[in-house]
Amino acid sequence: MVAELTSFTGADEAVAAVAAVVPPRRPARVKPAGRGRRQAPVLRLRAELPLPWRVGLAGAGMAGVLAVWLWASARSSGAVVVPSPADTWKAVATAWSSGQLRSDFSASMGRIGIGYAVSMAVGLVVGLLMGSLTSVESAVEAPIAFLRYIPATALTPLLLLWLGIGESPKVTLIVLGTVFFNILMVADVVRAVPQELIKVSYTLGAGRVTVLRKVILPHSLPGVIDVARINLAAGWLMLVVAELLAARQGLAYRIVQAQRFHQVDVMFAMLIVFGVIGVASDLALRWLRNAVAPWARP
Amino acid sequence: MTVAPAPATVRKLDMTRVIKTFPARRRQNPVVAVGPVDLHVDAGELVCIVGTSGCGKSTLLNIAGGLDHATLGGVSVDGEPVIGPGPDRGMVFQGYSLYPWKTVAENVAFGLECQAVTRARRAERVRELLAIMDLTAFADRLPKELSGGMRQRVAIARALAPEPDILLLDEPFGALDAQTKLAMQEFLLLVWQRTAATILMVTHDVEEALFLSQRVYVMHGRPGRVVEVVDVPFGRSRSTIVKRSPKFLDLRDEIQELFRQPTS
Repeated sequence: MVAELTSFTGADEAVAAVAAVVPPRRPARVKPAGRGRRQAPVLRLRAELPLPWRVGLAGAGMAGVLAVWLWASARSSGAVVVPSPADTWKAVATAWSSGQLRSDFSASMGRIGIGYAVSMAVGLVVGLLMGSLTSVESAVEAPIAFLRYIPATALTPLLLLWLGIGESPKVTLIVLGTVFFNILMVADVVRAVPQELIKVSYTLGAGRVTVLRKVILPHSLPGVIDVARINLAAGWLMLVVAELLAARQGLAYRIVQAQRFHQVDVMFAMLIVFGVIGVASDLALRWLRNAVAPWARP
Repeated sequence: MTVAPAPATVRKLDMTRVIKTFPARRRQNPVVAVGPVDLHVDAGELVCIVGTSGCGKSTLLNIAGGLDHATLGGVSVDGEPVIGPGPDRGMVFQGYSLYPWKTVAENVAFGLECQAVTRARRAERVRELLAIMDLTAFADRLPKELSGGMRQRVAIARALAPEPDILLLDEPFGALDAQTKLAMQEFLLLVWQRTAATILMVTHDVEEALFLSQRVYVMHGRPGRVVEVVDVPFGRSRSTIVKRSPKFLDLRDEIQELFRQPTS
């Protein structure tokens, strides 16, 4: 058959005829001359991104969130009311000018300020000892491993029962919800102090207390600030839980109030405030870390 | 600090029949890691321990520094037994181990701080050491701003600051590139001559050991033992030309041949 065809039209024409009917499966990619594979600068794995790209992509990410929000608010109807960014902004402005935002803000900040400060202080002392002394580690690790897995939020009813509905159960909840993470993570930071640094300090005449104070503590400082920054999110979570249940003031309390009066814009306003506070505290702690430990800057 | 070397007969470090074992695992005998080893360093001497990795030479140095304990045997400095680490035995490690948050001057001053030396005396001593180490211009820099060779010079200055009886160096130039290493070797000789320090140094580099020291302890095997003690016949001040002399090459080959021997 093939032989017949060949004799009838000639080989080249036969190939051309087949090619015309059967399209190539995939267009052949032109391989650039030279060895190796070129990589596009934007999609290199774990590579530095040029600054314009970084800024541009960050802007695009934020714009994406805003676009979804706008799209959702445009479609909002019936039960699912999504206020527009403009309405939300108006609600923020109203809350600010009425002074309500300020009092809610200071109430919430007071709680998390005290609670988280206590949590970090305990975390620093216990974590420092746990990371430096294996005897403390042995004594403390098992109970903390157990307590850590009790969700702090599950303690809320108990705290309300024991401590009433004042400030103390709220502050306590913030402490309990973060302190175990702080202890364990500070201990990890302390364990990262190089053994040789400790050894060399002994050979320079430092005693154990001096090594703790003048070597382990300063070496751990930037890491401890990072721990504070990362676990602060858990602190906010605990604050919200505490305020949702029983409070007369506070940012999360305002959300519950707004729900009663169907003020979705006020709810959104408070969520935005939470987000802004979170980002601001994150940036502030990053700045603090670089300010107190310029040597650890990457 | 005088240039004149101390009389060579004063024994500084003395290690006799030192054995280090690691605890027995289940149903097994304890593992002997080092020893028995006899070793001594006299005042003003620069002595090297040379050996392949894993022969226990660093363990021996740590025992001298008091950071590790001998299972058996005696370790003494100036006739007093070593029971723990102290500023009389300054140590320098391969990884520099500088305090990254302290400046060069603060790093060097740390040992003096621990000794409660007055601020004025401290500043003076730091200035003096930085001058010896050729680091005066970098007094206020952080370690991360320095090159490897400079960092190691800071570490040596820091160890010298409390005026130790003996300086213990654990592969101090192991992480440096070949050129810097050579410069640092010459530098160490210079510092040794200027300060009349007593130095015990651990290295795996046979040429380095021969170039620097007056006596070389060759360690080999598991458990690590001293298989030969080589008296190096070159004078206190030497230049790199020594490395090309027939005697140097003979000694080098002799020691390297020892490493070829199977270990029992």
